Amino acid sequence: MALINVAAREIHCKIVYYGPGMCGKTTNLQYIHSQVPKEVKGDLLSIATETERTLFFDFLPLDLGKVRGFQTRFHLYTVPGQVLYERTRVAVLNGADGVVFVADSHKNKMQENINSLRELAQNITRQNKRFADFPIVLQYNKRDLPPEVLTPVATMDHFLGVNKMNWPRIEAIATKGVGVFETLRAISRVVISKL
Amino acid sequence: MDPQLTSIIVPSEEIAQIEECLSRLVEDTGSDYALLLDKSGQVISSKGDGDRQDITALGALIAGVFASSREVAKLLRERDFRASFQQGVRENIFIALIEEQWILCIIFNKGTHIGLVKVLTKKATDELAAVLERVRQQHKARDEVLGSAFRTSMEDTIDLLFRD
Repeated sequence: MALINVAAREIHCKIVYYGPGMCGKTTNLQYIHSQVPKEVKGDLLSIATETERTLFFDFLPLDLGKVRGFQTRFHLYTVPGQVLYERTRVAVLNGADGVVFVADSHKNKMQENINSLRELAQNITRQNKRFADFPIVLQYNKRDLPPEVLTPVATMDHFLGVNKMNWPRIEAIATKGVGVFETLRAISRVVISKL
Repeated sequence: MDPQLTSIIVPSEEIAQIEECLSRLVEDTGSDYALLLDKSGQVISSKGDGDRQDITALGALIAGVFASSREVAKLLRERDFRASFQQGVRENIFIALIEEQWILCIIFNKGTHIGLVKVLTKKATDELAAVLERVRQQHKARDEVLGSAFRTSMEDTIDLLFRD
């Protein structure tokens, strides 16, 4: 839930990037960090293993400046994707206002995508929030994979239940920045609409 | 509107009480810094020596530590760890939970005794719990704070800043 400090005229929102291991969550944050103006971003904080896998989370604070007199801040987090870190994901998800679910477009990753999304639903529900109403945007990452291993968008829509849930869905190539800001705009809009 | 998604709105009066409580805690314990965080890691208020630049990152990390220790508690079938203590060579950190929603964090050096910090933190958490209760009970319409004009401006800002 967002925090609104009336005295300081500040609004804080927490957005979490969720998804299976190696799907590109950290890459999304790294690209955003590399592209937004200096005055908007804080330092990108990563708690990772020596092999650069996320151990706890990545954290990127964004300061959008004053909007109608309110200093508005978005805090972006990623979760560690590996199955082992289920409980860590629960911890990072605590108090989130919205989630970007990053799905891997590789054919061999479809089951992992489904499992991760199912786990997300469970974790949101455990926080006593209704999953169906929770702000979520899907990002289909790695759309530049060779055609023989690339899952068609329609297949991903079907297995991830996009049509049923009415989630915004964006195709992306996070390593090249394609779709990264479109995703951020989409989740920001959904979060703001539910403030 | 799902109440679980409702934003927490902390009015000016309550912020003033929180600031007073934190200042008193810093003064009475001789600590360096006191922080009040939301469980999501956002800093509600902070008091202490000097102007820390790293406060946002500190908030995110401390809330992360606390959330993670809560999961440890669950695995041990413990209801919750209400408080935690981290001991450094120069600085120590004492963290206490307020009603599952807020986190009070005190940073102090070896000149301050942990026993004093514990006792006075307990007193402060009771006070802050009362403030939190009042914040929760206020059904101040969020539209008073965030009207549709705000949302429109916000969307324009998002489009402007988050562009390819």
